[in-house]
Amino acid sequence: MRVSRLALTVWILSPWCVSWAADDPAAIEFFENRIRPVLVEHCYKCHAADADKVRGKLLLDTREATRAGGETGPAVVPGKPEKSLLLSAIKHEDLEMPPDRRLPKEVVADFEKWIRAGAADPREGPAAADVVHQEIDIEAGRKFWAFQPVVHPSVPNVRDKSWPRDEIDAFVLARLEDAGLQPVAAADTETLLRRLCFDLTGLPPTVEQRARFERATAANVTSAVVDLVDELLDSPAFGERWGRHWLDVARYGESNGNSRNATFPYAWRYRDYVIQAFNRDTPYDEFIQQQIAGDLLPAPSVDERNRNLIATGFLALGSKPVIRGGNGKGFIPDVAADQIEVTMRGILGMTVFCARCHDHKFDPIPTTDYYALAGIFASSQTLYGGSRGNMGGAPATGFHVLASRDAGEVKAYEDWKKRLANLQKRQREVGREVKKLRPRKKGAAPKNPQKYDQLLAEQKEIAKELKKLQQDRVEPPGQAMGIAEGDKVTEVPVYVRGEKASGPPIPRHFLTVAYEGEMPSLPPDSSGRLELAQWLTSPSNPLAARVIVNRIWSHLFGEGLVRTVDNFGVNGDRPTHPELLDYLAAEFVANDWSMKRFIKRLVLTRTYQLSSAHQDKNYEADPDNLLLWRHPRWRLEAEAIRDAILTASGQLDLTPPQGSVVESRGEVLIQDKLTPDTFHQPSNHRSVYLPILRNGLPEMLEVFDLGDPSLVVGKRDTTTVPSQDLYLMNSPFVIEQAQHFARLLQAEAKDDGSRIELAYLRALGRQPTDPERQRAASFLAMSREALEKNTADTDQRLTDAWASLCQALFVSAEFRYLR
Amino acid sequence: MFSRRQVLKTVSSGFGYVAMAGLCAEQTRAGFSSPLLPKRPHFEPKAKRVIFMCMRGAPGQTDTFDYKPRDRKVISSNITPKSKGKYSGKGPAGSVVPFSQYGKSGLWIADSMPNLGQHADDLCLVNSMHTDLPNHPQSYLMLHTGDFRFARPSVGAWTLYGLGTENQNLPGFISINAETRVGGAQNYGSAFLPAIYQGTPIGHVGAEMSEAGIRNVNCKHLPANLQRRQIDLVQETNRELLEASQVDTQLEGVIESLELGFRMQTSVSEVLDVSRESESTLERYNVGKTKAVGRCRDDDFGRQCLMARRLAEAGVRYIEVCHSNWDQHGNHVKEITANGQAIDKPIAALIQDLKDRDMLKDTLIVWGGEFGRTPLSNENGGSNHNNKGFSFFLCGGGVQGGLRYGSTNDTGAVAIENKVHTHDLHATMLHLLGLDHEKLTYRYAGRDFRLTDVYGHVVHDIIA
Repeated sequence: MRVSRLALTVWILSPWCVSWAADDPAAIEFFENRIRPVLVEHCYKCHAADADKVRGKLLLDTREATRAGGETGPAVVPGKPEKSLLLSAIKHEDLEMPPDRRLPKEVVADFEKWIRAGAADPREGPAAADVVHQEIDIEAGRKFWAFQPVVHPSVPNVRDKSWPRDEIDAFVLARLEDAGLQPVAAADTETLLRRLCFDLTGLPPTVEQRARFERATAANVTSAVVDLVDELLDSPAFGERWGRHWLDVARYGESNGNSRNATFPYAWRYRDYVIQAFNRDTPYDEFIQQQIAGDLLPAPSVDERNRNLIATGFLALGSKPVIRGGNGKGFIPDVAADQIEVTMRGILGMTVFCARCHDHKFDPIPTTDYYALAGIFASSQTLYGGSRGNMGGAPATGFHVLASRDAGEVKAYEDWKKRLANLQKRQREVGREVKKLRPRKKGAAPKNPQKYDQLLAEQKEIAKELKKLQQDRVEPPGQAMGIAEGDKVTEVPVYVRGEKASGPPIPRHFLTVAYEGEMPSLPPDSSGRLELAQWLTSPSNPLAARVIVNRIWSHLFGEGLVRTVDNFGVNGDRPTHPELLDYLAAEFVANDWSMKRFIKRLVLTRTYQLSSAHQDKNYEADPDNLLLWRHPRWRLEAEAIRDAILTASGQLDLTPPQGSVVESRGEVLIQDKLTPDTFHQPSNHRSVYLPILRNGLPEMLEVFDLGDPSLVVGKRDTTTVPSQDLYLMNSPFVIEQAQHFARLLQAEAKDDGSRIELAYLRALGRQPTDPERQRAASFLAMSREALEKNTADTDQRLTDAWASLCQALFVSAEFRYLR
Repeated sequence: MFSRRQVLKTVSSGFGYVAMAGLCAEQTRAGFSSPLLPKRPHFEPKAKRVIFMCMRGAPGQTDTFDYKPRDRKVISSNITPKSKGKYSGKGPAGSVVPFSQYGKSGLWIADSMPNLGQHADDLCLVNSMHTDLPNHPQSYLMLHTGDFRFARPSVGAWTLYGLGTENQNLPGFISINAETRVGGAQNYGSAFLPAIYQGTPIGHVGAEMSEAGIRNVNCKHLPANLQRRQIDLVQETNRELLEASQVDTQLEGVIESLELGFRMQTSVSEVLDVSRESESTLERYNVGKTKAVGRCRDDDFGRQCLMARRLAEAGVRYIEVCHSNWDQHGNHVKEITANGQAIDKPIAALIQDLKDRDMLKDTLIVWGGEFGRTPLSNENGGSNHNNKGFSFFLCGGGVQGGLRYGSTNDTGAVAIENKVHTHDLHATMLHLLGLDHEKLTYRYAGRDFRLTDVYGHVVHDIIA
């Protein structure tokens, strides 16, 4: 037997070894007295066949199992302490065992001695593999609600037949009636107007919109609301609002963040793509397919082709780690990890990420599923840029080159690129030949002097031509981050703890538990992204539709029916209205995955149009509004607050900007003097267009909870902290907008009374109450007086006084809350 | 005792607001409660606050706190596995600057830091630090967040999440002279923890500390009394809205936080205004000293230490200061000596002031960088990166003074005895603050995350 012979050799050669052989009774005695008790006391709890849960697939209760080892390799190699993971673990070198304490030094020394001497071990029994293969039970896992096929449930009966306006309302009312609760009354039209405008476009109603809506509701409330909703859904502002919701999920950022904050100059194209997709009402299934495999989809026109390429930016935008050591190891797997995370959590609400290191502890997702998906991305090539070593040694990549309608422009670029590639290829060939012929010693003659000189001359010529070609660089018509097919299909093995490869490559496939029927094998000559994209959005996939309807619901009702919008797993919340969720998912798919139509239907329900009034009885029974007895009150998102300030001050520029500030700076590192602040120049465009730099967000958006753009964020935090108030009280942006607001009031209204009225209308979307009028007037008078010392310029003083009132409106809670 | 809503209804003057805020700070009743209020730790803490002195660039351990005389026969290949080519040198390697012993404990400290030496018996030198990688960007993030691959919360953010903070009028986590490279804001970010736990920066590396402050705390556009009236006007409307809304904890929160913001304008300006200190204090902290090494002015680091003291006194939970000139690839001896001189007086003054205020016992000072350096054999050389062995010192906050813990090999390059990983340092820092690093978890994306991931051991041996 190989192992024991090896042990014996070591024994003979090692002068420091005690003098017994592996099966020597003395050796067995040493094991029984010094080793076995330690194993029993400190290891068996997790590493014995009768353990509650065997950790790391390692058993230490038989000789064979101990030598076979677990996930990370053999625990004991007789005679080789340095190769025995058990010893390294109890020394707390790499692994650290036992996890809660260190064994005394003498005990560690005993183990070293024992292993060096051949690791005598009388314990018979099978090796680990036979016992420990604790498979995740996929079939049992399928019984979990989220993996069950979506069914179209029947609409429940309700007692109050007059209340439901839509079948959706019946689902809500049925639950309320069961609980003995009554929904509150409908919101008044003023509240509804503000709610609809912010929810659908992220902007407050304009004074004109308000007047129009008032007239229309006087005639017919229902048709007025429908018309308003249609108008809002048709406006470009709709995509700017709802696109931003998706950008949160897509962890959109325009720089890398992490430890090397390189800019992503073309990321903005993805942002614009998303906004346009919402405005165009791209069906959600197509929207997803474009983002996962746009490069592989047929596209009849240049525009469609470009759109599809840009869409794949979804997979390239993630924050990437600086690579280890500089040899590229670890980089591709980390990029794939981000891609798996954004795809699985963003689209399916599944935390597959956990299965990178071990079988998922809660959900029926084995590591093999993770590495099956990793194979799909490893067989693709991510185009993130990273030139000039900006990504800290990560291999630089190109971008998707966008087509242009001007064929000549494209051809010029393609020709240039081809010339460059040919020249570079020739340069490498010549270089190799020169190296072959180069004399070994300095001064010696080369093997073939004539050819050698000829090659050298050619080398010079190539260098000259290359330089010229670089100078006459032809810029591509446009570039975009994204993903393309890789050079070859690469299937990857499971990496135990995410670090150490073990076993054969895993065939690429999808999430087993969510796949209905036999898993197909993916084509051997392509990455499988196209098939992944189709599976994600196939009607048989139980998750995609549920997850997106829940996301949309959460943006209109404050919370999702599943409150953990990014997690539909065992650790996530259960749906408060499971039948309603299925009903919505089924209806959504039946209506061609149209997000606009779905949103329209939701906002026209009675449930959506409830007031946010308090009601004692309901509040006692259901303080969290799980049963939807009222509309929630919530704080506006950062973008909406900023856009509302610019709207009130009359400064908002509704035209989208061309590109992004980040593009104009090119591929650079954000550091030292090139701080994020140098990118954040004053802008009157909508907030969705501000540069979203990782580790350097626009101040206002950060203060109001934009969140970390490296992470999938389906639901933002809403914090209430003084930095928000201080921003509204003292930031140059707010102070400046208050000045604009003041000048606008002075210009557009003649007397103080109508100016105050206009101020309230523009800022809060309502008339001031009488006490408010009085308070504002007396504050204004006081402000004029207090500012007398500030400036001699009486006009400016007057504007300042008005600005102090305008700012008070910006600071007020009502300004940033929606009810 | 009357309810807060009653207070809100009855109070109308500015004075009343302050009284109300006092009430709110002790709130225990249901309803709005700031997540930054002090929280009970897992067990009795030794330290109440942390001052982390980050030495960016990786200080050479053998020329600061790990004395390795070079009078031995050591072959060059021993220096470190990473050390080759021009860095390898020949002959014995070790300390290339003079050292002396200080205090009863006789700790060896480089001669550039005689004032710090006076506090030797309060210092705990950890000579056996090690970390995963010898690259600045990764290891700097590792030191600050425990991870270098993904966006994770910083140590300060975890601390705030676990303990809240004592002074609600100031941010609970402040990073002075924050780095712009190597992870930038991620080093004091909150990642998936709620944003309120992230650090507030004061200035950044390369900026003048004398001009650095916290954004938006100075009201320049309105006279102070007018701004108060402006806030009164707002609060009156807010209260009416609250009354109309009946129950609305979020709105209560806004009303409260607005008052807090208003007060912070005064409290922040006051606490950061070092000109209130006496001449002799300023001198002890090197304030006004124009000498510079690299991009670090002595005055800047002195101000940072003085601010750190003032912030600690005011009840800020976690304070980081940064000296960013420790990457001595060339000119090693001259620069590392100048660095020692730059930090010597201010740190000594800070320790002394904390002692005088009886605050050293519960203020944990942590000094160190992202990793260490290769020891030199030739004083004319430059040193290279080394993650296998380096030194930290801890002081106050329940650690044993006058202790040298762990050791490196003969050259000072590789930690060999009682090794302490960055994760272990984090576990120990949390432990001193009364937090169990395995229990301080946050559920994100379906799993419980912690600062130390699946690693980290508390170094009990250094705890007093």
